Amino acid sequence: MTYETIEVEPVTPVIGAEISGVDISKPLGNQTYQEIHDALMTHQVIFFRDQDMTLDEHKEFGRLFGELHIHPTAKAPEGHPEIITIHADEKSKVVAGMKWHSDVSCDLEPPMGSILHLHTIPDSGGDTMFASGYAAYEALSDPVKELVSGLKAWNESAHVHRDRFGASGKLRDGDDSYPSSLHPIVRTHPVTGRKALFVNENFTTRIDGLKKTESDAILKMLYDHIATPEFHCRFRWGEKSVAFWDNRCAQHRTVWDYYPQVRHGFRVTIAGDKPF
Amino acid sequence: MTEFQTINVEPLSPVIGAEVRGVDLSAPIGQQTFQELHDALMTHLVLFFRDQDMTLEQHKDFGRLFGELHVHPAAPGPAGHPEVINVHADENSSWVVGETWHSDVTCDDEPPTGSILHIHEVPASGGDTMYANMYRAYEALSEPIRDMLDGLTAVHDSEHTLTVRYGEDGRFRDPDVRYPNAVHPVVRTHPVTGRKALYVNSSYTTAINGLSKKESDALLDMLFRHIATPEFHCRFRWQPKSVAFWDNRAAQHKAVWDYYPATRSGYRVTVKGDRPF
Repeated sequence: MTYETIEVEPVTPVIGAEISGVDISKPLGNQTYQEIHDALMTHQVIFFRDQDMTLDEHKEFGRLFGELHIHPTAKAPEGHPEIITIHADEKSKVVAGMKWHSDVSCDLEPPMGSILHLHTIPDSGGDTMFASGYAAYEALSDPVKELVSGLKAWNESAHVHRDRFGASGKLRDGDDSYPSSLHPIVRTHPVTGRKALFVNENFTTRIDGLKKTESDAILKMLYDHIATPEFHCRFRWGEKSVAFWDNRCAQHRTVWDYYPQVRHGFRVTIAGDKPF
Repeated sequence: MTEFQTINVEPLSPVIGAEVRGVDLSAPIGQQTFQELHDALMTHLVLFFRDQDMTLEQHKDFGRLFGELHVHPAAPGPAGHPEVINVHADENSSWVVGETWHSDVTCDDEPPTGSILHIHEVPASGGDTMYANMYRAYEALSEPIRDMLDGLTAVHDSEHTLTVRYGEDGRFRDPDVRYPNAVHPVVRTHPVTGRKALYVNSSYTTAINGLSKKESDALLDMLFRHIATPEFHCRFRWQPKSVAFWDNRAAQHKAVWDYYPATRSGYRVTVKGDRPF
């Protein structure tokens, strides 16, 4: 692919690219928007360096790609319900996202993408790893591909969110239950048409139609498979770096190796469609 | 943190890995610089250098500062340099060296102290090497598991790994033994730092002595998964002429083969070590 308004440098041949030559806090021309979108479709996660963005500009950039998603429980800065605060410091006992996951896959219509802007980072450490769901799917053997292509799995959140936010964690829609949804194990990306593995260790609890022992064994195998380094890139943040990932084909995992240092930033999440 | 006067040391993660600037490895190295490089290696377990022009002779000379050079039991190298291993993958490769987490040549009775890899040709992207801190892996185990492992030894075998790779084409140091094996403690004490490190690896370790096969398989599987925890790692992106120097006694590594059919090529010099205790 050739780009005219931005520069795109792949981080690995499989996933991830660094984009330069664009200030995403400013309105983007049509062609630049299209090229950023193309780069995201090709590389599944794109990175930008040295971006000064206010919360409003961050939301504006996100809205170019769709409606913004409101997280069922996570903490938001005052007056910005569409933003999630990402924060860890010397008081942290857990950090969000230490297991491989696709964001909020417990939703019926899980987010299409997420845009994370970090302001404060440790001297070193605090990388984020990304895994290609396409590469993971394509590397399965034919019989396993056929098996999982016909199956759906439950993506639940009670076990995740209760741990983090407590049983009294208030849900924004006032509902008293945590969301859970049945999604295909292999989803077809609505834009690229490519198939991606869509189960994740954080939210997926069981495969529908299998016995528990079978479901546990297959899910464990798939989670191990997704953890294969050949499907990954590992991004080292700088202050004001931005990562924009496509939750439909990429999973990610945060690395908490910097305790007791501070890592802080904001995430905007773009609403998505029902997986098929 | 150690203060360095002759070199500049920038950690890649708080856990493992540092990039070292301000030194030309092809030139003779002064006493203080040598000491600082050694200190940095003890602290960070793996050091990275950029833009190093080194001939094979200079590469070996740099290695010899840290000890006698090791000759690999089977891996091929450039003619006339038995102490150098070719590290090469291209469109004809059906496997690459070191795709599973390992410490180099632990099938030897006295496995190498360290390895120095100089890569000349890298793919446009991909071909990273990952490193894992085995002190941290040991320390992160629960106390009952640590207590049990402290007293155990394990078998490190190479036949299953090396026969597949080198078949009849290897350079065999000892034509009678061919593929060596050894018994080492599951937890080794680093002879310089005195710290304890987990010392089993998925390339060479086949069994824990004194356990049933079921018990040994389950424990090794758990330990190999534990070693694969990203919080113990760094992931290094190569450029042409980058060098990585790692301490095999405290670190494991894994090559990421995500660049087929592109070419990645370089040379490794390996520094001899002692019997683990």
